[in-house]
Amino acid sequence: MDRRNFLAASAAAIAAIQMPRMAFAQDGTLYVYSGSDSNITDFWKNTIVPAFRRTGNETRIEVVDAGDSAGMRAMADRALAAMSSDADPQLDLMEAFDPRHPAGAIDQGLWVNFDELGLENAERINPDAIDSPYSMPYRGSQVLLAFDTSKLSPEDAPTTWDELTAWIEANPGEFIYNRPDKGGSGGNFVRRAIHEANGRDPSKFTLDNFTPEFAEESLAPAWELLAALGPNLYQNGTYTAGNTQSLQMLAQGVVTMIPVWSDQVLQAIREGVLPEDTGLVQLQDLALAGGFSRVTIPTNAAHRDTAIELANFLLSEEIQTAIIEELGGFPGVSWDHVADELQEKYRLLIPRSIPTFPGGEWDAAINDGWYRNVAPGTPRE
Amino acid sequence: MSLQAAEIARAPAIRRGALVGLGLVAGPVLLLGWLIIYPIFDALWRSLTIAGPEGPQLSLDTYRFFFSDSYSLRNLWLTLWVTATVAALLLAVCLPISLYLRFAKTRLAAYVQGLAILPMFVPSVILAYALIRTIGPNGAVDLLLNAVGLPRITSPYLTPWGPIIGLVWDNIPITVLMLTAGLGVVSDNAVEAARDAGAGRIALLRHIILPQIGNAVLVALSFAVLGVFSAFTLPYVLGPASPEMMGPFMSRTFNDLNDPRMAITQAVITFIICAGFGAFYVRSVARGRARRT
Repeated sequence: MDRRNFLAASAAAIAAIQMPRMAFAQDGTLYVYSGSDSNITDFWKNTIVPAFRRTGNETRIEVVDAGDSAGMRAMADRALAAMSSDADPQLDLMEAFDPRHPAGAIDQGLWVNFDELGLENAERINPDAIDSPYSMPYRGSQVLLAFDTSKLSPEDAPTTWDELTAWIEANPGEFIYNRPDKGGSGGNFVRRAIHEANGRDPSKFTLDNFTPEFAEESLAPAWELLAALGPNLYQNGTYTAGNTQSLQMLAQGVVTMIPVWSDQVLQAIREGVLPEDTGLVQLQDLALAGGFSRVTIPTNAAHRDTAIELANFLLSEEIQTAIIEELGGFPGVSWDHVADELQEKYRLLIPRSIPTFPGGEWDAAINDGWYRNVAPGTPRE
Repeated sequence: MSLQAAEIARAPAIRRGALVGLGLVAGPVLLLGWLIIYPIFDALWRSLTIAGPEGPQLSLDTYRFFFSDSYSLRNLWLTLWVTATVAALLLAVCLPISLYLRFAKTRLAAYVQGLAILPMFVPSVILAYALIRTIGPNGAVDLLLNAVGLPRITSPYLTPWGPIIGLVWDNIPITVLMLTAGLGVVSDNAVEAARDAGAGRIALLRHIILPQIGNAVLVALSFAVLGVFSAFTLPYVLGPASPEMMGPFMSRTFNDLNDPRMAITQAVITFIICAGFGAFYVRSVARGRARRT
């Protein structure tokens, strides 16, 4: 094939690949973008979407994994750009996204205000989970410690922060957590250290009481705690780049203990990535922090009304029960709205409340503080 | 027809040809202006100004912060060090392969070439996870060593050597292809003549081959350096949390710290350094052109 033919052929091939996209751009599909791990997108595809369609809504729903927060940010940017040109953002609902991004989006009216909607199910929401009127919490997840029972018997598993740090010191190289900005299991382990350094009182930190001075004062002792752990972590202080990589380290038998998301570790055990007898333990003096996932809806979504209907449906008893039973997650509604027998059954597994840490400006302060003060560790030559 | 008349008759044709040529070039040039040149100046402008009460004001504070912040500087040094190491390793790995491909006349050479180009078709995220499985802790290499009773390797995973190994592997194809193309200018006659005069392998390489492919080496390395400097996936997945390479650092500043202006400043600094390597490349190409015409 000479060059001219080659060029013509590849141009045709590219056009052929692009064609379906162009042809089906406006096909009436509702697009859900998720910033969560694949166990959550699987849950959406296999449970939420079929259940929603059974309510009689025939809209085709496509659940897309946007990867990480950067991927979600790019989608939100697209929605914002589409708003100024009145185009279809091809994005109707975002799962696990902070509506404070992109900068100025709230002022420009990009996000639907849930307070103004007065959703039928809104009163069921757990008040602790609410973060902003522009996002609606629907599920929670807690971070646990998962360990290899062939190396540590469940009776000896640490149940307080002091026991945990003592265990890490006694077993150098056997613990690793991921970088706080690259997945919540490490992030919430770091937040537990912040709670520890501040009298184990989660109420000390709220969304509104962030000031750079208070952050400096409250975070600095936590950095000392974490930096002191560094030399006894895997390879004298390395940190994985995500929840999945931490699970991989445990699965390959490299380390004995890691912090994990409850829902993710249950799925890993179910799928055989981790052995059946993987130990799980929660600290009893104060649980590792967890978090709630929320949905946001752009005001310019092509299927805004259906997306709002879907958001309301997420708070229904059917989905909330599935979140507890199938996902191993934590309900987004208050426990009063969960069936009694379910409350009884999961009483031991799922605590009544999970300590949370506010997001907003705290996130940036914690991430940057950790990278600057903990990650470099003591200089290793 | 006299010669002069022929010239005159050809002139409009040349002019038309030139117009068609300019037209053909205009598309890419406009695209370059829109997608590359404009964003560069936009980034420069945005990193140098802050919105004041009376319009934008010149401010160097982000640059001042970057160059006085030991954390940022450490990231920049790591990036420079990784880039230099990768470039040196690439030359060490690829030059022998290219020499073999240039001078071998066997069927095996075709397979070697195929193998050398393979990394081009492996996405870096796949490569990253594959490397965790092989050279990572308790990975394939450890299992093999263990099987023959040898101690485990100190895994490069989560150290700067993780991304270095990945980046070298990733950049082998383009470097081998460019070096092999560069070796095309070395004529068999020159090599044979030198051999007849009694030159050994080393002397042959030093006095006959290297002087002729200096340009190709520069071009290949500047290409690799540009890619490595802005690498993201491999340093992100395989590298240490700190110090981090500029790619993950910029992304983190932009996304996590929600500080676009600082991220743009880091990007401008990265860009200026890369532009230095780019200048090398452009100069080499221009010199090559000048020699040919």
